[in-house]
Amino acid sequence: MKRLLILTPLLLLGCSGAPEEALIRFEVETPRPFGYVIGDEIREKILIETRSGITLNTASLPAEGPLNRWLNLNRVEVEQDGQRYRIDLRYQVFYAPLTVRTLTLPGFTLQFGSGGSAFNKEIPPWRFTMSPLRDLAVKSAEGGASIRPDSLPPQLDTRQAMILITAGSGAAAAAAGALTFLYGYFPALRRRTLFKQALKRLSRIPEKDMAEALRTVHRALNALNRQPLYQRQLAGFYEAHPEYRRLDSQLNWFFNYSNHYFFSRNVSATALDRQKLTALCQACRQIERGSR
Amino acid sequence: MMNDAELIQWRERALRFEQQLNQTVIGIQPAVRQIVIAVFARGHVLLEGHVGVGKTTLLRAVAQGLGGYFERIEGTIDLMPADLIYYTYLDENGRPRVDPGPLLKQGERLSTFFFNEINRARPQVHSLLLRAMAERSVNAFNREHAMPHFQVFADRNRVERQETFELPAAAKDRFMMEIRIERPDDEALLEQLMFDPRFHDVDRLIAGIDPGGIAYDRLNDLAQTVQEKIQTSPKLRRYALDLWQATQDPARYGIHLADVDMKQLLLSGASPRGMSYLIRAAKTRAWLEARDYVLPEDVQAIFEVCTRHRLFINPVYGYRKEQLVPQLAAAILQQVAAP
Repeated sequence: MKRLLILTPLLLLGCSGAPEEALIRFEVETPRPFGYVIGDEIREKILIETRSGITLNTASLPAEGPLNRWLNLNRVEVEQDGQRYRIDLRYQVFYAPLTVRTLTLPGFTLQFGSGGSAFNKEIPPWRFTMSPLRDLAVKSAEGGASIRPDSLPPQLDTRQAMILITAGSGAAAAAAGALTFLYGYFPALRRRTLFKQALKRLSRIPEKDMAEALRTVHRALNALNRQPLYQRQLAGFYEAHPEYRRLDSQLNWFFNYSNHYFFSRNVSATALDRQKLTALCQACRQIERGSR
Repeated sequence: MMNDAELIQWRERALRFEQQLNQTVIGIQPAVRQIVIAVFARGHVLLEGHVGVGKTTLLRAVAQGLGGYFERIEGTIDLMPADLIYYTYLDENGRPRVDPGPLLKQGERLSTFFFNEINRARPQVHSLLLRAMAERSVNAFNREHAMPHFQVFADRNRVERQETFELPAAAKDRFMMEIRIERPDDEALLEQLMFDPRFHDVDRLIAGIDPGGIAYDRLNDLAQTVQEKIQTSPKLRRYALDLWQATQDPARYGIHLADVDMKQLLLSGASPRGMSYLIRAAKTRAWLEARDYVLPEDVQAIFEVCTRHRLFINPVYGYRKEQLVPQLAAAILQQVAAP
């Protein structure tokens, strides 16, 4: 009985544990310690489970960014699930060793707090080896692995872009064509503005120059007929352009007058003749515009 | 020279003459108009057409209307130039006699000489005609015989080509016009020609024309008056010149025919003589239309008949000559603008 009394406090003592035992679980998971080359990423995981009331001071975690000349801490992630912490550290090494070389990820200290007191837990440094990418002296002549040219960039599929460009420029051209049509800039449509041009020219021809004025109207009629138009061909002309038939008397006057003016003797033009000529041209223009 | 009143009188006569011709030979008004123009412009005429379309009837009617003397000769392969000038025979006393042939028999009074089937005659005969037509005179019996009122009408048919001699270019060029006589298409006319007894007796038909309604010996005087009285304006001259140039170099005037290399088409275009005939005929037409100035339409009306036989087509296109020449003439008229 006396022995039992001695054992009980001992048992109790054994179950309670030291203040160190504030961490129920503390594991540092490191990857393989060898076979790293320049630019590789190393993931270190720290799994911690604390007793209730004890919290991890996340400020004690190392800061993201360059740790030294060749080591970068790319990311620090802390996941907390109740009293469980899962710390994920991603290092990237930029060391370019000439031979296989042992390097060390520096250790750091995690701080935990519980009420007023605090305690630390050391994360030990971790050693690993880095290998060079290639032998120090590579002789390309010996078929060694020299730096090869970059592989060709993959061909991008441009079909869709081409279709879009074609469709776009087609639409633009159509729009430009429509605008040109609306503005009447089409050379083929000059045929629809024959008398408009003739009228414009007529207005510039001085009153006295009847020959040029007659010639202008002749030219417009010839262009409309697509070949020289003479009085005796008027019937055929009306068949092709029936809308001009209503101008028959005016056109006949014009041809008679023109014949007289150009081919007979001493015909002098009067202002009235010029007016009649302009009136004929205007009537033709109205027909041309379809407004008559 | 005649005065204006006479000109008007003559014009009426000419129109009446034309009207009578149209009553005698129906359905070919354009050809009749062209012949009347040729008569008053004093130009020789070459008629071309199918057999039996009235070529001979038309010419006989013209001769009847003109008065004066009419001679005709049939072209045959053995016809020699001498046959035109004289013929030999034995008279009633059994003596050999030499008398003037058809060309000389009437002397100066010969007004119409009708050479039937000219392309059956030999080139020797053609060459005799060259001078007779150009100078209206021939040498025979050691002296020159002038025939001032002489006008040649020749015809050839288009059906046969065997045993014929193509007229040399020089002979063709001396004809003012080559007139094509087409068979009328109008059924009413054809029926009339078939059933109207008036058209069956050619002699009676021709007798319907006033003999000597036109005084043949005044025609030269009249033609000269017409040529001097009728005006051509500078614009018209330009137009006629353009037409002429277009017969030389059609491509320059933008004239194109289907399947033809225009640069190669023509060996030669119309001759200067041809063009002077063209203007003479145009003036005569203006006179007949009662104008004292020539219009482009006058030139256009006779352009084809005056030019067609003067366009010499490259032999490469020879087989299409019948189509190409009228096409070319029509295209020239269509492309050249006046004024």
